Amino acid sequence: MLSSIHPLAKLVACLVWLTASILIFSAPFQLAIIGSAIVALVFIEQRSPLLVLALMVPFALFGFGFLTTSVLFRQESDFALRMAGETPLGGEAFSAGIVLFLRAIACGLISAAFALTTDAGQFIKALMADWRLSPRIGYALFSAMQFVPDLAVEAQQIRLARAMRRGRPPRRIPGPLETASLIVPLLAYAIRRASRAAIAMEARGLDTGINRTVLGAPLLHRRDAAFIGIAFALLPLLWWISKF
Amino acid sequence: MADAPAARWCDISVRYPYADAPAVGPASLAVGRSERVLLVGASGSGKSTLLATLTGLIPHTIPAEVTGKVELRGEDVATRTPAQWSASVGQMFQNPEQTLCGMTVGDEVAFALENQALPADEIEARIGSALAQVGLSEDWRGRRTMQLSGGEKQLVALAALIAQQTPLLVVDEPTAHLAPAAATHLRRLLLDRPGDASVLIVDHRVDDLAGLVDRVVLIDADGHAMDGGSPRAFFRAHYDKLAALGIAIPPPAALDAALQAAGIVLAEATLTMEEAVAWLEALPTREKAAAQEIASTFAVAHQAGQSVQASTKVVAALEGASCAPLFGPTVLRDVSLTVRRGETIAIVGRNGAGKSTLAASLAGLLRLKAGRRIGPMGAISFQNPENQFLAGSVREEVRDAWLAAGADAASAEAKAEAMLAQWGLSELAAAHPFELSQGQKRRLSLAIITAGGRWPLLVLDEPTAGLDGAGRAALEAEIRSLAGAGHAVALVTHDLDFALASCARSVVVDDGGIAADGPSRTVLRDTALLERSGLAAPALLPLLHFLEEGRC
Repeated sequence: MLSSIHPLAKLVACLVWLTASILIFSAPFQLAIIGSAIVALVFIEQRSPLLVLALMVPFALFGFGFLTTSVLFRQESDFALRMAGETPLGGEAFSAGIVLFLRAIACGLISAAFALTTDAGQFIKALMADWRLSPRIGYALFSAMQFVPDLAVEAQQIRLARAMRRGRPPRRIPGPLETASLIVPLLAYAIRRASRAAIAMEARGLDTGINRTVLGAPLLHRRDAAFIGIAFALLPLLWWISKF
Repeated sequence: MADAPAARWCDISVRYPYADAPAVGPASLAVGRSERVLLVGASGSGKSTLLATLTGLIPHTIPAEVTGKVELRGEDVATRTPAQWSASVGQMFQNPEQTLCGMTVGDEVAFALENQALPADEIEARIGSALAQVGLSEDWRGRRTMQLSGGEKQLVALAALIAQQTPLLVVDEPTAHLAPAAATHLRRLLLDRPGDASVLIVDHRVDDLAGLVDRVVLIDADGHAMDGGSPRAFFRAHYDKLAALGIAIPPPAALDAALQAAGIVLAEATLTMEEAVAWLEALPTREKAAAQEIASTFAVAHQAGQSVQASTKVVAALEGASCAPLFGPTVLRDVSLTVRRGETIAIVGRNGAGKSTLAASLAGLLRLKAGRRIGPMGAISFQNPENQFLAGSVREEVRDAWLAAGADAASAEAKAEAMLAQWGLSELAAAHPFELSQGQKRRLSLAIITAGGRWPLLVLDEPTAGLDGAGRAALEAEIRSLAGAGHAVALVTHDLDFALASCARSVVVDDGGIAADGPSRTVLRDTALLERSGLAAPALLPLLHFLEEGRC
């Protein structure tokens, strides 16, 4: 369902939810956001729970940093402690840390909900068509997006060329030294690729000053307005529920 | 302005930053309206540089010092930016990755049309039409261009170019990575333009181009342009000069020159082997016998010898192998292939058939999904020669290859110099490998991989793409020398004449497996098989039929 929503409508909703998560310093509210995001991703969008869990690992580590900082360095966390106010989850410092931890997870889940249900190409097209993103920036983003997976292929080609020089097949997974030695050639490849793409785009008429057509950009529908309405209405409802 | 040529270069000279000499020029040439011009020249003669000045990419986007003037339909190119000329000039660069912007197929084809702010309906219609013209179905639209094979990228770049419908097309080796049938179809598509559309085409594979263009222009070793007139007259009148410059000469023109050297002058210079055969048949009886002898010697020189015996030691073998490209799905199943010492094998097939995957699997560089591989690791010359380069200069690349092959430091230097001379790279020894032209990069990658002769099996992936005549001759000699020294050489190629001349055995890849495997003299003459596999018969075939049928 979320996948069929206009990327910009989804972006606006996600930004509002992120803002709410940052401003409302309440553990139950953060839990309500987390619950909603999980319902949307796992039950409505049918994404693998394992994938969602894996995506939350960096956010959990980030949040854990907040938690330990709050508990161990109370003075520095004074602002958070005051914001935490009531302490239903044990000590004041621990409670503040928990809220910060949950907030990191909630923000991560909202971002994941956007990223996992949005086609990046459609998102850039929507930005160019509706929000007047400069085509130069839009197509630079396009190129960068397509470039990332190609780096792995390029790295493998370099490893093969080196292996041939040495006369023995490459290891399945490169060691730390080999990985470090790939950085400069890959950087050179990235620069080469970027300059070629720039020349190709120039030769094919990018940015001639006229208002270009954007083919295949997503169109706004009534369901997008309904989605925005529901997303906005859900926030005060969650806040109200979280107070009990 | 109405009478002005489609494009005109007036005394253009281009010097890149820090270069001692101009890359091209001073050169003057013009392309008339509705004219189709073939630009020929040795690798590194500055053809691609000259084309890049046409819309001002040089010096506007690529820094260089330019003297002289370029005009498009009578208007000075400098009055607009390269992007603003895109509605008038469609350009396709030598390397398809330089033409494509790294998007999906549909987005690539639409890109230039969106920039011209054409209505969405028209863009959709043009995308559909262009994809159909190059033989790609609608379901290709969502595929990422950077995940396509070299030939497939070239097809997408051509579709993008055709969709632009510009009055002038400038194409640099547009079919270098395409299977023969597709290449022939697309060359006709490019050159058969409606109205007063003009085409300027650069290519080393001039075999069937010669009959499709109005005029040939030669860029000589000094970077000067020479108007060669009609292709029929050009190859006969300038044969010696072309040979000296190392420019590829179509087989019929080479046969014509061989006959002329023996005092036999055909009534008219030939563009196709069918024409040559028709003229041979028309010769007076006394001359006919001599001509047959010359034609027979010519045919023998253009065909590889017999394949090695089955008792010869096996160098590498695949048994029941399922082959897949890196990070990709299985494309070939249940493949069994044995390569023996001294064997030369051509791996041919349509674009995307899995030739490169088979070659890399045979060399032991790709892990099999199923089945097994026997034999030591082989080496591969990648389809994109840039993937081969690891050092900071041409000399270092070749020297390091010799050092890796076990040569000591002193002898590696000497051997590197000799090898650079052999591959015509001595003057570029100090240059960075990425500064070379596409043909020169190809030569360097081949020099690196053949240095030291340390590999029992060498796989060359489309080694003739971008090579001029001298490069092809050097490669052919090197393959023979390697095979003579007991190395096995597998060649992935679309150039069936080269395959016939340099490989005793041919393997046709089609439909997820090996469709044929046998002597090149048999496989590459099976026209039904070739047609089924998207290939076209070698240009030499009519002459072989003529000699065998004994019509003289």
